[in-house]
Amino acid sequence: MNMLAVILNSTIRSTTPILLAALGSAICSQVGVFNIALEGQILIGCFVSIVANYFTGNVYLAVLCGMLGGAAVASIVAILQVKYKAADMVIGTSVNLLTSGLTSVLLSTIFGVRGSFSSPELISLPKIKLPVISEIPVVSRLFEQLTFIDYLSYIIAILMFVYLYKTVSGFHTQSVGKNIEAADSLGIKTLRTQIIAVLVSGALCGLGGSVLSMGQVTLFTEDMSAGRGYMAMASASMGQAHPLFVIASSLFFGICQSAGVLLQNYVPSQLTQAIPYAATVIALSIFGWRAIRKKNA
Amino acid sequence: MFLELKNITKTFGKTVANDNISFGLNKGEILALIGENGAGKSTISKILYGLNKPDSGEIFLDGKKLKIHSVLDAIDHGIGMVQQHFMLFESYTVAENIVYGKEPKKNGFFDRKRAAEIVRELGDEYGLHIDPDLKVEDCSVGMRQRIEILKVLYQNADIIIFDEPTAVLVPQEIEELLKTIKDLAKRGKSIIIITHKLQEVMDVADRTVVLRQGKFVGERLISETDIKELSYLMVGRGIPPREVEKKEPGKLVLDVEDLRYKHEGVSILNGLSINVHEGEIVGIAGVSGNGQTELIQCLTGLLKPDSGKVELCGEDISGKSVREIRDLGCAHIPEDRYEFGCARKADLEETSIMGYEHLPEFSSKGLLNEKHNQEFALNLLDKYSVKYDHMGEPAGALSGGNIQKLIVAREIEHNSKFLIAAEPTRGVDIGAQEFIHDRLMDKRNRGDGVLLISSELSEVMSLSDRIYVIYDGQIRGEFTRAEADTNKVGFLMMGGQNGQD
Repeated sequence: MNMLAVILNSTIRSTTPILLAALGSAICSQVGVFNIALEGQILIGCFVSIVANYFTGNVYLAVLCGMLGGAAVASIVAILQVKYKAADMVIGTSVNLLTSGLTSVLLSTIFGVRGSFSSPELISLPKIKLPVISEIPVVSRLFEQLTFIDYLSYIIAILMFVYLYKTVSGFHTQSVGKNIEAADSLGIKTLRTQIIAVLVSGALCGLGGSVLSMGQVTLFTEDMSAGRGYMAMASASMGQAHPLFVIASSLFFGICQSAGVLLQNYVPSQLTQAIPYAATVIALSIFGWRAIRKKNA
Repeated sequence: MFLELKNITKTFGKTVANDNISFGLNKGEILALIGENGAGKSTISKILYGLNKPDSGEIFLDGKKLKIHSVLDAIDHGIGMVQQHFMLFESYTVAENIVYGKEPKKNGFFDRKRAAEIVRELGDEYGLHIDPDLKVEDCSVGMRQRIEILKVLYQNADIIIFDEPTAVLVPQEIEELLKTIKDLAKRGKSIIIITHKLQEVMDVADRTVVLRQGKFVGERLISETDIKELSYLMVGRGIPPREVEKKEPGKLVLDVEDLRYKHEGVSILNGLSINVHEGEIVGIAGVSGNGQTELIQCLTGLLKPDSGKVELCGEDISGKSVREIRDLGCAHIPEDRYEFGCARKADLEETSIMGYEHLPEFSSKGLLNEKHNQEFALNLLDKYSVKYDHMGEPAGALSGGNIQKLIVAREIEHNSKFLIAAEPTRGVDIGAQEFIHDRLMDKRNRGDGVLLISSELSEVMSLSDRIYVIYDGQIRGEFTRAEADTNKVGFLMMGGQNGQD
């Protein structure tokens, strides 16, 4: 029982960055932008958070900076891919490689280290202790060690759902992805909508990056986003870009990650580390196959 | 005058789309704006609807000068447009599409229930009934148009522009639409209908304004004019009625029996049988999407049918490759000129020989006969009066009508026994249409077989010696030229059953 609570707790913690980035991916696909730069947006969030954390000593300011960093990287996508219609694959891949290189270089110029940076001066995100629940034996384990961002991510998902599916503005936002010409002809500022969506995805990924580098651990490692941007794309696609379904699909990837970590004790870690990625491929294949069948039916 | 356009001029690069055009519209009037493709009808209507900005000129409504910078401005001034290409969101419901931009709200949220009610009330008021909760993707073309009309009505438009509204409809739907338009005018809406179908103009309009090559060439009250005069104004010359040379059909060229094709479990061709003889144009009439595309692709080897006999000049061609079938004498004017007819980036010389480049006439030992090919291409371009800048120009740079003429030239001038002409005049103007029709007739008169597949019923009716009606992947009826009439054919096109069927 306790064991299960531990697994679930680890699942929740590994889900958060994926869920945030997947929501970012979802909002982009809702407006018809194929954003592949999520990986870079997360990574820059990890890095900028640590830098801001180190120099200001304020963890909340660090989170904010992480989000701004993500949005800044996303603005490259917004300008080149959305405004100037450059090829999505090229822009996305370049941005991901660029941030990977940039963070490595800045790591050595700012902190003078290679590979990873950690310092006792860094403050980690405070863990929230729920008033009543923390008294209950097993259930308390479930909600252990969670930061406000873990809770926030679900709230964001619900808010995004309400916005997209219940408000008029969200209805217009969605319409951009469904038929941009028609939306244009009905007086919607489609370009602006798409750019905002991409910037929001940047901020969400940046937030995910913050929790990655200041949540469980408080450090920055090169390429510490480790493919979560791609998993997030898979998750958003599985969840059909619907925020509530995306919660479910992101939890699936969270389980795969925590299972990978858990099984490390029994199976070579090289193998267990592959679990989330294998799951990505399998999930996308199954989902793609079903989508094709549905389309032809 | 209720609405007045004064001295509107609009240029796109070097082309003058509208050259100093002025006309007016009265309240409750139906004005037909007619002209060939490229005459500037669409441009001027887009200016009125805020999609294009004029270089110069003024628009007055009720004597007040209007500034229309965007669609929203136009809608604010009560100008609405039913566009030729529907601007609908497939996965949204009918109601969502109609209230778009002016949604009913409740506590700040989108009130979808109210939206459905509004659409129901609006439909009742104007007699345009439609289920508001249906998804647009499940709606037929006619229904989609009704959604567009309701959308314009919901926006409270007093002036409604219809851009080629009948291009996509079958005869029965057209009749209904024209009734709706008259009804709207009776209720005080002012209507501009853009079209090049003169019969409809005569049926529905009060007055007509004729444009040619971007210029205003005249206006007429419908009560004081006739089709002949209007077509003369439109084209700038008289078009003599087609005279069909009597011709006895010869040997069988194409013989298709019980053709069946399924795609992912869905039957598309359900035992279709047709034949074409020498010296005969056989037309296939039908609403697009009833298996025409798959039939063409089965005949040309692009698809493999599941069963059935396909014989070309007595030879079984099922299972043969596209090239083998072409070499046996099957030329093909494809329905989508860009997907199958040409490569956008290939130059005009390449486009002229494409699909035949392996024949000894055009190449030897794997090398192209550049000199001959260039002459050949020049000859085609000249004979079919294709407008182009220079030979090195990519096909994609030509206008739709001109690239179509080049493709038609290539496929007709290569003297094959059999020609499939699918939508041969889609998107080309009347002059070019006549020209292409004449060439198809010539081909028939030379004793070749032509299979004409067109969603334009008038085209099928005027050219074909025999007409098949296709519905749901089957032939629902067969008519000779003498037997065919629009009502009978239209009835079968809609899925109606023939007495003997």
